[in-house]
Amino acid sequence: MSWVRVATADEVPSGSLLSVQTDQGNVVLARVDDDIYALEDRCSHQEYPLSDGLIEHDEVECPYHGARFDVRTGRAVQLPAITPVRSFEVEVRDGDVYIRLG
Amino acid sequence: MSGGIAVGGGARVAEVGEVAAVGRGGEPSWLRARRDDAWELYEATPFPSTRSEEWRYTDIERLLPLGDLERSAIGPNWSGELPERLRRVLASDGEGAGRVVEMDGRVVSARLDPGVAAAGVALSSLADAACSADPVVRELLGTQAVPASDGKFPALNAALWSDGVFVHVPPGVKVELPIRLSRWVSRPEAPTFTRVLIVAEERSNIAFEDEILSPDFESGTLVSTAVEIFARRGARVRYVSLQRMGRRGCHLANQRTVAERDSSVDTLNVALGGSVDRVDLNARLVGPGASSEMLGLYFGEDGQHFDFNTSQDHMAPHAHSDLLYKGALDGRARGIFRGIIRVHEGAQRTDAYQTNRNLLLSDHAVATSLPNLEIEADDVRCSHGATVGQLDSEAIFYLMSRGLERGQAERLVVRGFLGEVLSRLGPGVVADKVMRTIEAKLVR
Amino acid sequence: MPTNEVIHGLGLDDYKFGFVTDSEPVFRARPGLDADIVRQIAARKNEPEWMLERRLKALAIYESKPMPKWGGDLSELEETLAQTYFYAKPHEQMERSWEDVPENIKLTFERLGIPEAERKILAGVGAQYDSEMVYHSLKEEWEAKGVIFDSIEDGLRNHPELFRRHFGTVIPAADNKFAALNSAVWSGGSFVYIPPGVHLETPLQAYFRVNQERLGQFERTLIIADEGSRAHYIEGCTAPVYSTDSFHSGVIEIVVNPGAYFRYTTIQNWSNNMYNLVTQRALVHEGAHMEWLDGNLGSKLTMKYPSCYLMGEGAHGEILSIAYAGDGQHQDTGGKVIHVAPRTTSSIVSKSISKGTGRASYRGLCKVYDGAARARSNVECDALLINETSRTDTFPYIEIDERSATVGHEATVSKVGDEQLFYLMSRGLDEAEAMALIVRGFIEPIAKELPLEYAVELNRLIDLEMEGSVG
Repeated sequence: MSWVRVATADEVPSGSLLSVQTDQGNVVLARVDDDIYALEDRCSHQEYPLSDGLIEHDEVECPYHGARFDVRTGRAVQLPAITPVRSFEVEVRDGDVYIRLG
Repeated sequence: MSGGIAVGGGARVAEVGEVAAVGRGGEPSWLRARRDDAWELYEATPFPSTRSEEWRYTDIERLLPLGDLERSAIGPNWSGELPERLRRVLASDGEGAGRVVEMDGRVVSARLDPGVAAAGVALSSLADAACSADPVVRELLGTQAVPASDGKFPALNAALWSDGVFVHVPPGVKVELPIRLSRWVSRPEAPTFTRVLIVAEERSNIAFEDEILSPDFESGTLVSTAVEIFARRGARVRYVSLQRMGRRGCHLANQRTVAERDSSVDTLNVALGGSVDRVDLNARLVGPGASSEMLGLYFGEDGQHFDFNTSQDHMAPHAHSDLLYKGALDGRARGIFRGIIRVHEGAQRTDAYQTNRNLLLSDHAVATSLPNLEIEADDVRCSHGATVGQLDSEAIFYLMSRGLERGQAERLVVRGFLGEVLSRLGPGVVADKVMRTIEAKLVR
Repeated sequence: MPTNEVIHGLGLDDYKFGFVTDSEPVFRARPGLDADIVRQIAARKNEPEWMLERRLKALAIYESKPMPKWGGDLSELEETLAQTYFYAKPHEQMERSWEDVPENIKLTFERLGIPEAERKILAGVGAQYDSEMVYHSLKEEWEAKGVIFDSIEDGLRNHPELFRRHFGTVIPAADNKFAALNSAVWSGGSFVYIPPGVHLETPLQAYFRVNQERLGQFERTLIIADEGSRAHYIEGCTAPVYSTDSFHSGVIEIVVNPGAYFRYTTIQNWSNNMYNLVTQRALVHEGAHMEWLDGNLGSKLTMKYPSCYLMGEGAHGEILSIAYAGDGQHQDTGGKVIHVAPRTTSSIVSKSISKGTGRASYRGLCKVYDGAARARSNVECDALLINETSRTDTFPYIEIDERSATVGHEATVSKVGDEQLFYLMSRGLDEAEAMALIVRGFIEPIAKELPLEYAVELNRLIDLEMEGSVG
């Protein structure tokens, strides 16, 4: 378990998605209001990057087939996705975004 | 992305060519030109992504970050003793018609039975054959079977191959025992590119066994092989690829067989070791009456990832092909089979079959099967089947009722399941070796 | 060649529905598609704001998605769509009595045998003409039991909560390019609700007729079969033969609640100038049973893969698919079964015939998720080739993440065998009869699943054409 700095908070404006590389694969960062969340950047339906999609309220929508995930937990909330995507703990320290890799 | 190899690539292609040609009087200009063209194609070809159908289940960028590989595609000449494991394999392989040992992508010995040599059969290092201006090599190396234009990895291999094997069997010569190639890969995190070119002239016979071995590695280590097989009229070729690499070994194979009139090319691909094995096999039946039997066997455990992408191209009438790929998957292993039978226009009276069967031995193993048919002729007999299932509990209960422990019973059933492929191959060194490796995996 | 004659004799190549009705729409949007057209459609339907927003978002998704490169040849579709009318309203309002339907439109449906079938064997009928339902009716006894069978527009208007809870949840707009298109411009289709425990003894039917040249039809159907209910829904479709291409893209969403049984039958018999790109999907909950019976006989190109998401324990999905690809036709059809829950079962049976330059492709998916313990699925595909120029393909995807699942797929391709013919002829049949018998036998397992009365009443269904072919 380790905390890794992956971006600055400025790089994740509200309503946008940012893909970052980690040694456990790509992670997509999303901001809802003042909080930043991190999910595995790979849709559980057909493994396309979620970061190509969009964020609406607190759900990330995969543009390829419309699957949606709860940005807080990674839970699948819309078909065709069935299984969740992994979610990571996030901390913002001094304007930098850290995620915790398991 | 492909940093390690891409950086200064043009210069490094030359480097590989020059290093490979040391002591051979330099590379001929046609070969140098082929390498340059291949490199250009490599650079122009996008990296395979899971967005493309053929790579949908194998995220090669994630599984094998090429950028992490050591820069040089060619290492120093092997010096010193052969590794213990390799020596044991060589000792147990027994009698053959010929034996080639390749260490880190360079052939260190190529020996042919004197009787076979006297019949006119040629067996040599591919780099030797290319540098000595063998006209057959010049005509067929990377031109018709696995050209650089086939894709990203065929292009990379064509640009950077360091050595390999060339076999040429003259018309009418029938070689009874197999020629064996033992490859050893030891440079951690390095890429190795090698090739095999087999040309069996009219009515000749040849069998070739191609084994890849390595120690365990700490991180991804690549072996790319390109295999080109030509069976002229009435010839018979048998090719076996046996991959028993150590952990973190990654094997990418591009194989194409070309069967002319009344010839047969039979292949067997066995994947047991390594972390990633991706085999692209295309069997072309270009002459009437040609035939290909295509066998495959895989046993995955831990996080092993095996991806077989096969195609059977029926381009002439009255040809026959029959594919059987069987795999057992344990741990978090993932097996992918994508196969297609293509019956081209005019290939009437085609007889083509394709079967893929998978056994899931753990809750976390995954099997994916995509057996496809594309038929453009009407007078054909084609079928395919695919199954995924678990161990046959009835068979296990039966065996247990006969006094076997559960573990023993399960091993027996798995052996029986995979044994079907080996029984089609027939008894011999390969079947023994495969069975022994599977046994060892099962006991673990 | 007797072979061709016999197949011809089966009536499959003989399109009887190609007539044009002389009728003027009361409103027609200009050809082509943009946000303005979408707004016009929504305004005509007097929709709530949220639906317009959904439509506009779907339009953006549609525009951002590339044209599929797999499946059939869609290279000329872009051009066709630029000329297509996306909305043509045939009549001011939907009627509850045939008497009120404009005479020439009513005559069209009479020619297709719909009112007669309704009187004899159907629980309810919806009739769509170009972009909207012109008639919708449910027999009183079912209405009294709480069954809802309405146009989709009335569903939204009269049952807003039920509608909104399910609309677009089974098939999101982004599912594929044509689902996005439908989500942007949908018009017409049915809204169906079967209350808990209600067993509908006779089928509901929706009939889709395209009359205008260069019309795009985008019906949208939402069906909810509540717990323990049973129902059968039949969809038929035909169109006139024009020299220009037409376009049809429906989206059918079905929710089958625990213990319910639902069968959805399609007899697609579009004219040969029709692109038919349809998305059909059912969510099948615990112990529920869903059947897709999918007959594709017409169209220029059909791409359609009805699917079952088996979400609850013991859910069962079945897809019976039959395709006939005559000269110049491509039927790219199949089915998908997705096993999510334990002890779910499914079967797909596909039969196709390719004749002349026809091409029949099976495309399917069987996916078993980790945790769908003891799921079982079986897929069988048979393709029959009649001529040297006929084509067939089989593209199944099998993705298994669950150890205890049992999954099988088998496909065979064959030509009508000389041995079979010879055997039958030795029993006294002439070659034509023998061929007819073989072809009928090939299709029979599926044809027999059609409700006979229905087939008889509509009297031009495939099944009937097969029956009447010998002698």
